[in-house]
Amino acid sequence: MTMPLEKYLNAVNRHLKPLPISERTDIIKEIEGSILEMEQDGLSRKQIVERLGTPKDLAKAYLADLLAANQKVRPSRILAVCAFYGTVGFSGLFIIPVLGIIAPCFLLFGILSPLAGTVKLIGSSFGLNLPFTRYIIFTFGSATLSPIPAFFASIVLGAALALIGYGAWRLLLLYCRKVGSAKRKWL
Amino acid sequence: MNLDKWKSQIVRGTLEYCILLMLSKKPCYGYELLQKLEHYPIIASTESTIYPLLRRLLKENYLESVWKDSYEGLPPRKYYSLTLEGKEYLDTLSEEWNRLTETITKLKGEQP
Repeated sequence: MTMPLEKYLNAVNRHLKPLPISERTDIIKEIEGSILEMEQDGLSRKQIVERLGTPKDLAKAYLADLLAANQKVRPSRILAVCAFYGTVGFSGLFIIPVLGIIAPCFLLFGILSPLAGTVKLIGSSFGLNLPFTRYIIFTFGSATLSPIPAFFASIVLGAALALIGYGAWRLLLLYCRKVGSAKRKWL
Repeated sequence: MNLDKWKSQIVRGTLEYCILLMLSKKPCYGYELLQKLEHYPIIASTESTIYPLLRRLLKENYLESVWKDSYEGLPPRKYYSLTLEGKEYLDTLSEEWNRLTETITKLKGEQP
């Protein structure tokens, strides 16, 4: 396997992506120097690449060493991780399903309620005798409202339901954002 | 098979010490270190071992480096040298090394 020097170095550079650009430039410059010295010593391009390994393997050697140096696990960090995921996991167990169900359901019923009120109003005022509209009733305590007040009541109810649904949705987003920022701050 | 494994473990454990020893004599650039190591088959290594190791030693402040222009149209070379911390670290390693060789000598001479 032979490839142009430029291409080889570019490939190494690509595989070093996790590192900051200044470090990458420095690493590439050093490897390039080494390659040119080997050429000066009469090694063929093939021998050089054999010695260096594939761009991926060479880059991995750098990354492996740096990762190992950075990941010294401290006991306090383990505790922090446990506390964080314990709290988030436990609270999320309730908050996410509750809000996740409330938000879409209340929004849906917020739309359905005035829709049903409208259908009932149209059906009864034009005497259309639409199927199943007799099942649409608005009861208030023990009183059943007639179609016209029921229509207005259904709009008010729909607006209230939609508002609750929307509020739950916002709360859910807020919760997710808070968890995200807390993770960045503590871990 | 087993011997190769054992030898590679020895290299892994001692290469750092070898490099610090070489740099304590005089500042060297990476390729120069590799060429010196090539004279000793037991610790001969390649770029993919030496360069990451040098970087780690830099990060741990045992080494410092400086880019210097070279001659004959060759690219600049990165010269490594020991810091004060690196010298102290090397002294500690040397003590441990002596302790190890003493131990082995004693074990070799021990009567059954």
